[in-house]
Amino acid sequence: MNPLLAQFLAEAADLLTSVDEGLLQLERDPGDPELVNEVFRAAHTFKGSSGLFDFPELTRLTHAAEDLLDAVRSGRLALDSGMTDDLLAAFDLIRGWLAYVTTHEQLPATAGPAAQSLITKLRGPLGGEQAAPDDSASAVAPTAVSDSAPGWLSAFETEWLESTASWLVTTSATIRFARYTPDEGCFFRAEDPLHLVRQVPALAGLGLIQPFEWPPPETYDEYQCLIGFVLATRAAVGELNHLFRYVPDQVEIVELDGAAIRRHLSGEEPPPRPAQAAAEAVVQSQAQNLELARDAYAILAAAQRSLTADSPSGARLSSVAHSVAAAAAALGAPAETVEPDVEALTARVATLLAETPAAPEEPPPAAPPPPVERATADRGRADDPGGQVGTRILKVDQEKVDHLMELVGELNVAKNGLTFLADAAEEEFGSRVLGRRIKDQYSGLHRIAEELQAAVMDVRMLPLSVAFSRFPRLIRDLSRRLDKTVELVTEGDDTMADKDVIEALGDPLVHLVRNSLDHGIETSAERVAAGKAPAARITLTAVADGDAVIVEIADDGRGIDPDKVKRKAYEKGLISEDELEALTETDAVDLIFRPGFSTADQVSDLSGRGVGMDAVRASVEKLGGTVTMRSQPGRGTSTRLRLPLSMAVTQVMVVSVAGQRFGIPVDLVVETVRVPAAEIGRVLHQDVVVLRGEVVPVIDLARVLDMPWTPDPAADQRVLIVSLHGQRVGLLVEQFHREVDVILKPMEGLLAYAGEFSGTALLGDGLVLLVLNMKEVLSLAARTQ
Amino acid sequence: MPLELNEHTASLIDVVTVDEVESLVAWLRTTSKPKVNLRRCNHMHTGALQALLLFQPRISSTPTDAFLATQVLPLLRGSSGVSSAESEPP
Amino acid sequence: MTTVMLVDDSATMLMSLKSILTKAGYTVETAGHGKEAMDKLAKGVKPNLIISDVNMPQMDGITFVREARKAPGMRFTPMLMLTTESEQTKRNEAKSAGATGWLVKPVGPDQLLGVIKQVVPGA
Repeated sequence: MNPLLAQFLAEAADLLTSVDEGLLQLERDPGDPELVNEVFRAAHTFKGSSGLFDFPELTRLTHAAEDLLDAVRSGRLALDSGMTDDLLAAFDLIRGWLAYVTTHEQLPATAGPAAQSLITKLRGPLGGEQAAPDDSASAVAPTAVSDSAPGWLSAFETEWLESTASWLVTTSATIRFARYTPDEGCFFRAEDPLHLVRQVPALAGLGLIQPFEWPPPETYDEYQCLIGFVLATRAAVGELNHLFRYVPDQVEIVELDGAAIRRHLSGEEPPPRPAQAAAEAVVQSQAQNLELARDAYAILAAAQRSLTADSPSGARLSSVAHSVAAAAAALGAPAETVEPDVEALTARVATLLAETPAAPEEPPPAAPPPPVERATADRGRADDPGGQVGTRILKVDQEKVDHLMELVGELNVAKNGLTFLADAAEEEFGSRVLGRRIKDQYSGLHRIAEELQAAVMDVRMLPLSVAFSRFPRLIRDLSRRLDKTVELVTEGDDTMADKDVIEALGDPLVHLVRNSLDHGIETSAERVAAGKAPAARITLTAVADGDAVIVEIADDGRGIDPDKVKRKAYEKGLISEDELEALTETDAVDLIFRPGFSTADQVSDLSGRGVGMDAVRASVEKLGGTVTMRSQPGRGTSTRLRLPLSMAVTQVMVVSVAGQRFGIPVDLVVETVRVPAAEIGRVLHQDVVVLRGEVVPVIDLARVLDMPWTPDPAADQRVLIVSLHGQRVGLLVEQFHREVDVILKPMEGLLAYAGEFSGTALLGDGLVLLVLNMKEVLSLAARTQ
Repeated sequence: MPLELNEHTASLIDVVTVDEVESLVAWLRTTSKPKVNLRRCNHMHTGALQALLLFQPRISSTPTDAFLATQVLPLLRGSSGVSSAESEPP
Repeated sequence: MTTVMLVDDSATMLMSLKSILTKAGYTVETAGHGKEAMDKLAKGVKPNLIISDVNMPQMDGITFVREARKAPGMRFTPMLMLTTESEQTKRNEAKSAGATGWLVKPVGPDQLLGVIKQVVPGA
């Protein structure tokens, strides 16, 4: 398949999904402008891309849908359920077509008639809205040659005008004149008037409009455009309109015959014009003349009604075609030969109606504002910085926010320094009062620092929808490859989390969703055989939970068979025969996270082998989060990620071992206990302590980290109880210190390979704190036992 | 370089864009009796034309580009840009 | 070497315009929305022409043009909006924001290359 078409089909699926979802939501909440805009945008993008291929029915149908949505968006129409039905039907039809295009690379033969009836329905509410004028459609005359020359003709040399007039009279020909007055700021839109003038076809003459007074050279602003041009050309008005289409308000075009030029030269008044030919004389690039535009609009609306209501044919059809052409000419639209068939005409009328600037819905006021005023208004707007309504939004570089965050981190470090100073005041200088006062200062500063930190963190917050956005497409692609039907539901997209967390969440989520599609979800046939709906469902949910965000990926697939998992783990030597018997179902499911585990009987090209769930758990834990999985065989699996809302600042508990301080994430800390050395027992080569009836293994942190230290057997032993994967472990340490907020930096240099540390942080007294990666510490402990 | 600025003469070469206008104006401001060579100029930005109109330097060499020679040069010389060759019947 | 920056959230559109421009010998930079394009400009990408869609997520085309005009070296860079035939008001807004002109979707090779010649002197 043509890669462009393949790309379009892939993108189309996403767009259609968002249109569908949006429409359904809109039906429930019809007033939501953001939602309308979203649906409109999707339809709009769809139409834009569809035009690249030769699928005229597709483009026409999406165009009709887009126009209807645009009317809703602009508030001209209220969306009712009938319209929603038509819109949904239109996009359903398109979905069907695209399935056909995927295999045949062309639209089905029935596309034309099927589209037409829907287009008529979609256009109904738009056409019906316009009040039809009473008078007949013949009021617009085609553009006439002007009898009066504008004053700016004098910018040309008299001699040249005379000779031009004389050959025009001789040949009964006309010539087009244009005045191009660029606005002063036009260079800043990258306009180069001289470059445009150079491109005027069949240029017959060029004159200069100089400023009334040139500024003195010292104050001259070279970027202000002060000059303009007048030009004469034998090119048609249409060609000029096309060339100057980006600057219509700066250009005035007039078509003159020899007599008009001669009258200009002699200063004569133009002859009185018959009332019949009272149509605008000056051809303006866009239909700036309101009256003309209004008449044209009325004609077009009438034509549209006639086209949709009674499908005219023969002479009636060609008369409609004629009036449409006249209206188009009056609007300054380029001439377009349209086959006199109802379809083409309807499309043409719709295009013209859409292009016509704001047609009044009420009868015209007696005196429409003169075009001059409009021009000034437009010009004023160009200089206007853009009056904003509602909250002012400041766009800030991400780097600046990051820098702000770093400063907050340093402030925290400096703030923490005060507590060391307070200790020093007490211990070294023996002044309890000074120590207390420093601590008071500290708590005031602490409060401000916390608020500042919260404010900066808030700026860094992004909605989870950023992380979720890739999944509709991913699931679509994968499910197609696997021949499974999957519906994606996302909930809590607007839950906010720090941008670093959102970014880091991406890969683990992709892995989990892939895993779910690959292993969890059955084929439609298997599902039907199991008495389930043929389409599976994957739900992505995000909820905020205090300082954490919980993201859950749930499917309604086959679930995990704990026995199968246990057998597999046993075969792979991951668990002992005892464990094979003893492990609970929950623990069995957790085996999936063990390194080197894979449940698929065959290696799939999607999730592959090796980089399995252990990698997911590792990367989530690196973020300071946890992963848990629950499964009901035959009913589905859900994986729950719990992540800190932000990663920038971590609270750690500081402990020391053999005189060296280490940090442990506070999230993991359950409690600190002091137990007499005698109460530490030994069970199966493992030190344990009994806390409230529970046996907790105790690990000698100094030994694990290979640091020389022998605890004083006479003193109470200090044990820090941490909880990891629901399991409690005691760490034997030398001393407990305080909790501090630190900015965790990744390990660098030699220590980068030391897995037992997750990062370093600077303490208030300038010392570097190594923060422990508890998971690694525990597995290290298991190895060194 | 589209702009060669010497002590008394500036040469406009190929396409003189808006980016060159500032230095051209600065040169015109500070040069007494400036001369401008347009021979190799194929297009000048409106801002450059405007500067030549304001500072009125002597055109030392006329452009070979047809549009500049027939339409723009007359504007610089103070007459309108009507070329006699073009005022024939269509 | 003329560099054209394309900004559109539709990968299909980017692909189609890019292939036309590459065949015609232009260097092409692409971005999926205004924010990404701004990042590229901030990183020193200096296109001779920017072509941007109007309706995009993150940062719409008109805001993008307004912002891009303020980026270093972009004061006088031609910027064209990709519009549909019905987006008349958007065109005026875009002009006020500093756009040079617009292209009407779907954009064919003749239209695209013709407009580039029209708005980029010497392209």
